[in-house]
Amino acid sequence: MANIAAQRIKREFKEVIKSEEVAKCAIKLELVDNNYTELKGEIAGPPDTPYEGGNFVLEIKVPETYPFNPPKVRFITKIWHPNISSVTGAICLDILKDQWAAAMTLRTVLLSLQALLSAAEPDDPQDAVVARQYKENLDMFKLTARHWTNAYAGGPSVNSECDDKIKRLVDMGIEEHQARVALSSYNWDLERATEQLFS
Amino acid sequence: MGFEINRFQGDVDEELICPICSAVLEDPLQAPECEHVFCKACITQWISRQPTCPVDRQNLTSAQLTQVPRILRNLLARLTISCDNAQYGCTRVLNLDTLSTHLEECEHNPKRPVLCEQGCALVIPKDELKDHNCIKELRSLITKQQQKMNEYQHEFHELRFFILEQRREMQLLKDFMRALKTSNPSMRAIADAMDRDAQDREVVRWSNSLQRARVTRWGGMISTPDDALQRMIKRTLTEMGCPIHILDDLMENCHECRWPPGLCSLETRQNNRRQYENYVCKRVPGKQAVLVLHCDNQHMGEDMMVEPGLVMIFAHGVE
Repeated sequence: MANIAAQRIKREFKEVIKSEEVAKCAIKLELVDNNYTELKGEIAGPPDTPYEGGNFVLEIKVPETYPFNPPKVRFITKIWHPNISSVTGAICLDILKDQWAAAMTLRTVLLSLQALLSAAEPDDPQDAVVARQYKENLDMFKLTARHWTNAYAGGPSVNSECDDKIKRLVDMGIEEHQARVALSSYNWDLERATEQLFS
Repeated sequence: MGFEINRFQGDVDEELICPICSAVLEDPLQAPECEHVFCKACITQWISRQPTCPVDRQNLTSAQLTQVPRILRNLLARLTISCDNAQYGCTRVLNLDTLSTHLEECEHNPKRPVLCEQGCALVIPKDELKDHNCIKELRSLITKQQQKMNEYQHEFHELRFFILEQRREMQLLKDFMRALKTSNPSMRAIADAMDRDAQDREVVRWSNSLQRARVTRWGGMISTPDDALQRMIKRTLTEMGCPIHILDDLMENCHECRWPPGLCSLETRQNNRRQYENYVCKRVPGKQAVLVLHCDNQHMGEDMMVEPGLVMIFAHGVE
């Protein structure tokens, strides 16, 4: 790995560890390998959002050309958000693409992602299904996102109605995540989700 | 790429850190408006990808980068840093501004060129000295030289072949021209004209190589020099490198019987005395004589000049 990239990451790692956000448990950063090419990030769901109370794990890969090119970041924790793929965790955020600047750091990236959770951009979606729901039925979106936060990110709010519907599908032999995706995509309409799953 | 921060003694202020490489600024440059500062190498590399300031994304080109303020340079110069060769045993700690001078002469630089003292006298990097084998090195040197020699020899042969080829071609062209000349009268005329041009150019060149002469007493002119005098002048002209095709004509023009109408008798000479000063004369070294060449004297009237020129011999009065 290029010297400059390793040196930057070392320093940034220290910066994050010492930051007040870590003290407040808002962000977290861990090394995955010893040569600073891969890290694991974690951000807390921002308050007053469907993600509140959840912890979202991120995979961070540092390219050889860092910091001249942005780090490659994706969500490991499954999340329901217009700008994050519910399938792959890929993120649509300008600073991770053409708006990257060499002076940005892993800390600013993590904080930007946290900000993205509070302010979605449905007009520049990564997940078209989620974005459509966000624009057409915001309440349904919030309910779904909160349920996903509870199911995957350790969020506190349990929605027993959702859980029941999933259980119905699981009882029919559908895998749980698959059932959740289908129900989420059809605004928790059990009939249509079933139809889609068995068609 | 700046200097690694852990090479410095004590704390380094955040302001002295490059936001790109996160090391201490090396050859710092600053953006004009926002005044953000970066290492030269870092910001150049960034701008080559994207012409913006990496901190605030304002437009920024390489040409706009300027030197940083003196105070910043001084603060950097004052930092104390360990030598690049610390891992090879150098214990020096010096001010940042003296680092480069030290590195040039640092004893611990593993790549410092040293002279082999075992006999081969080759200059080799210090870290290769322990595995250095004079005979092996010299042998590889010989092989390399031999290779080079072979290459040159090859090239030499090729060039020689090329020259022979050219020579043959030139001969062919000459023959061809000769044949054209004999078979075609207009070609002959062109060839002759070319020859004449070449001869004229030769005379001009020769004339330009001669020194100017000044005749102070035109009355000393000998209009009927005898044979002995003529032979002597002719010999001198030959020694002066006079073009062979004008030599005889010139020498014939040293006697009034061949002079132009304006000079050919005592009477006409008397009439034209005033024009003498207009002649451009060239020296005939060591002799009381001057050359008045046609090519130098085209401004004179036709009755005062003949081709290819005149030789004037004097009893005295030439400088």
